[in-house]
Amino acid sequence: MASSSASVVSERRGIPAATFVEDVQTYLTQLELDVNSSLSFLQERLQQYRLVEMKLLAQQRDLQAKIPDIEKCLDIVATLQAKKGAGEALIADFEVSEGIYSRACIKDTDSVCLWLGANIMLEYSCDEANALLQKNLENANGSLEVLVGDLQFLRDQVTITQVTIARVYNWDVHQRRTKQ
Amino acid sequence: MQQGGGSETEVTWEDQQNINKFGRLNNRFHELEEEIKIAKETNENLEDASNELILSDEDVVRFQIGEVYAHMLKVEERLETMKGKASEELQRLEEEKESIIAQMAELKKTLYGKFKDSINLEED
Repeated sequence: MASSSASVVSERRGIPAATFVEDVQTYLTQLELDVNSSLSFLQERLQQYRLVEMKLLAQQRDLQAKIPDIEKCLDIVATLQAKKGAGEALIADFEVSEGIYSRACIKDTDSVCLWLGANIMLEYSCDEANALLQKNLENANGSLEVLVGDLQFLRDQVTITQVTIARVYNWDVHQRRTKQ
Repeated sequence: MQQGGGSETEVTWEDQQNINKFGRLNNRFHELEEEIKIAKETNENLEDASNELILSDEDVVRFQIGEVYAHMLKVEERLETMKGKASEELQRLEEEKESIIAQMAELKKTLYGKFKDSINLEED
């Protein structure tokens, strides 16, 4: 393989990189595979990549749903703090059940309760709640960035594999033609 | 990727990287179309809300924060800030889309130049 692959990653977080083929003839001789075996190997690889892609896309959707939720929570905490600062009570209409709303008067809010998941809710002071929510938001955004990077890497490997399949197939067709 | 008629055009690592880049840009382009659609809707909704507010003439407005509707008095300012942010976001997305279209056009020229009929870069 040419040394241009020096800067190429060989795998990323468990996803194996697709080897770039400089020359089809050399590739097939090196692997000692005939055309059909190498094509089925590449197709299998493609399937594996597709599976991982679906998993990553699902994770991405989850994160993309979580982030607006965290931002809404931060908004509420900020509003409560502002109201406290102004010395006013916050009057809010909330949903009791579908289609039924009730009014709440929230006075002197020193603390809020945050749902941490797994049926656990903890009481925090407004400042602590802010800090925790901000940290969660940063983590979520960070994870999303890494995930997007993974997806891009994966899609590149898919493209390389597809191109390799096409080239091996074309090479084979070319070989058959020149032999005739 | 279209399978050519058995041509022997060599594919270099640089070509492969160009093809990869084109794929990435194309993906991002489609994502952006979706995001722009949502951003436009958000902008419209905020515009409608703003108009309704002017017409309604009530003092106390039930403003949605999170899952509840809080009673607020100074809603106009808040709405203006939200509108400003939304329109900035929309502009940013549109600009990114323009840049991607330009980059894709460049790559198309390069790739079609080398591979001519052996490559297909159009939407199905």
